[in-house]
Amino acid sequence: MAKAAFLLILALLPGHALAQRPQAELACRHAGTDFVYDCVIRLKRAGQPLAGADILVGADMPSMPMAHNVKPVKAKRGQAPGEYQARLDLEMQGEWAVKLRLSGPLRDQIVVNYVFDERGAQPVIRSGRSPRK
Amino acid sequence: MLADLMQNTLDGLAAGASYALLAVGFTLIFGVLRRVNLSYGPAIMFGAYCATWTYLNFQAGLLVLGIITVAGAVLAGAYVERLCFAPHRQGSAIAAMVASFALWMQLEEAATLALPKHLYAFPALYEGAPLALGAFSLRIETLLLFAAAIAICTLLYWILYRSRFGLAVRAIIDSPAAAQLAGINVPWVFVRVFALASAIGGLAGYLIAASQEQVTPMLGMWSTLKGLLAMMLGGLGSLPGAVAGGLVLGLVEAHSQWFFGPQARDLIAYLLLFVLLALRPGWMTTRSAY
Amino acid sequence: MDDYAIGVLTNIGLFSFVALSAYVLLIAGEMSFGQQAFFGVGAYSGGILTAMYGLPLPLAALAAMMLGGLAALLVGLPTLRLRGLYFAMATLAAAEMARILFELLHFQREIGGELVGPDGTQGFRGIRWVFERGVEPLDYLLIVYAMLALVLALFLWVERSKLGATLRTLGEDPELAASLGLDVDRLKLGVTAAAGALAALGGVLYAHHNTYVEPRNFDIMLGVHSLAYALIGGLGTAFGPLLGVMADIGVLEASQVLSGYRMIAFGGLVAVLLIFRPRGLLDEQVVHWLKRRFS
Repeated sequence: MAKAAFLLILALLPGHALAQRPQAELACRHAGTDFVYDCVIRLKRAGQPLAGADILVGADMPSMPMAHNVKPVKAKRGQAPGEYQARLDLEMQGEWAVKLRLSGPLRDQIVVNYVFDERGAQPVIRSGRSPRK
Repeated sequence: MLADLMQNTLDGLAAGASYALLAVGFTLIFGVLRRVNLSYGPAIMFGAYCATWTYLNFQAGLLVLGIITVAGAVLAGAYVERLCFAPHRQGSAIAAMVASFALWMQLEEAATLALPKHLYAFPALYEGAPLALGAFSLRIETLLLFAAAIAICTLLYWILYRSRFGLAVRAIIDSPAAAQLAGINVPWVFVRVFALASAIGGLAGYLIAASQEQVTPMLGMWSTLKGLLAMMLGGLGSLPGAVAGGLVLGLVEAHSQWFFGPQARDLIAYLLLFVLLALRPGWMTTRSAY
Repeated sequence: MDDYAIGVLTNIGLFSFVALSAYVLLIAGEMSFGQQAFFGVGAYSGGILTAMYGLPLPLAALAAMMLGGLAALLVGLPTLRLRGLYFAMATLAAAEMARILFELLHFQREIGGELVGPDGTQGFRGIRWVFERGVEPLDYLLIVYAMLALVLALFLWVERSKLGATLRTLGEDPELAASLGLDVDRLKLGVTAAAGALAALGGVLYAHHNTYVEPRNFDIMLGVHSLAYALIGGLGTAFGPLLGVMADIGVLEASQVLSGYRMIAFGGLVAVLLIFRPRGLLDEQVVHWLKRRFS
């Protein structure tokens, strides 16, 4: 409780924004079992691959945000610099907001929306349509 | 300009026909049981998914698929009725409604477990080009939908006004207590009304799936929302109102989308309902809220 | 504590705010399908204030709560005379309108060479207050539960007071309440605003935990779920909604045994439970019994 109070006091100090946010891309393949996907994460910052980051990968469904709790996994180093690998165990197909929590040289969280189907994942392209029908 | 207006009106009425059928099912349940069934759409989806599964595995024909959709919806509806509405007949309306929501979640999960993809093809109601009537095009599916909607409404009218069952239903709508005193077996009427509403819903679901040539897991929530909206717009508890509400909703959506885009379409429909509810005109609030 | 447990517990805490928001209205006799809208108002306004204008979180939270309360009044005033399903559908319509407005909201500022702010259906990314302050997930969990504890304390105090009895009377029998000289309208509006502010508080906390919100987060599923949790947990005490949230998210989610069949299991349990306990697990009878037992 005291810690929370201390943090609240700390919180009253004004803030500053981080410059140059990192960007992420996913390439996922269905791993055979439902609904497990092997994903390659490409991390970039200011156009350059971002190597050496610790990524904790989680996921949430945009509709019903707090109700699915996918076990967060630590991403492993991938083939090239700026590439990481993670195996995601999702509960079902559909659109997921994949959360990449970075620690290491940079602390940040990137959220990318992908639609997972029986083959892999496609990035979500939002048009103006509401997701009905 | 006028041609667009006419075309939109035709499309709007087509959508409105399916909304009207959905609303009629909701209204039957609400009018008689005084309860909202949040599992109505999901029961329809269950039926549509049964048909889709049959289509995927056995390549069944349109007629068979229609029968399966209706049967599936009635089966799911019976399950919901037994678990959510029969036990709370004399009790809390909120409990019944939350229970129906719980079964909605069940039905949706069961459906997506059986058929996990977020889109399935459904055989078309009619393969062929739309009719060209001068400047407008009229899809044959639209005509079939209209015909079906008119047929169902006629059948419903005949049941309600020409049969003993219908008499009992109307008596209960008027006053459940008086109907009970008059010796009507109210619980048994409830069961049959539920089955009738589910069957109508199943038929609506089948027509919607076949005219859109696809089935998605969103069908459950979509049907529930549209049905509720249309029912409320037409005045809660009134069957002719349900039909009118459905058609009005279809028209409002079609024209709003044309002029302002897809988001405005939904926005305007909800705004219309909200404003009407806020103003509470007499024709809208004839039935008590519970 | 591992990250997964922290995540689940934080989600339980955050969801409790919306569930309590629905609970407050249920006690006062109204069923709302729309509390998710105020959750969203809190999330967006809180996020905008911290991420785009550098406001400290406590100030942003206060502002968000006020906006949530105001938004709730905006919905509550026109619908004051509505009851039952009419009121419920009005709140549903209002909440969906709010969600669509979020979809249409494009409001971004350039900060440090990047565009920050809500971008319609793409959502609102980059609410990085926790990173700018070095707040760890465990610390944030404590913040959430500290706020929740404050809210619960307030609820328990109100329950014991005359206001609590008044609200329950209003919920049970509005005609009786009016005949007792209670200003039914003012009470209803007060409850509506409070529920909106409560949901908005949850929303601010949610936005900063997630660092990202989008309009789809605030759709009907959230609203109906929170209503269900409030009823399932029990309408006898403010701990009821918490119990409802915990029952679903905590128990069934954490026991991965039923993963994939969670809703089938939970849905069935809920329907059966409601047959025997139509006012939830911790309904008024149970709470009364517990109070007598332990006093």
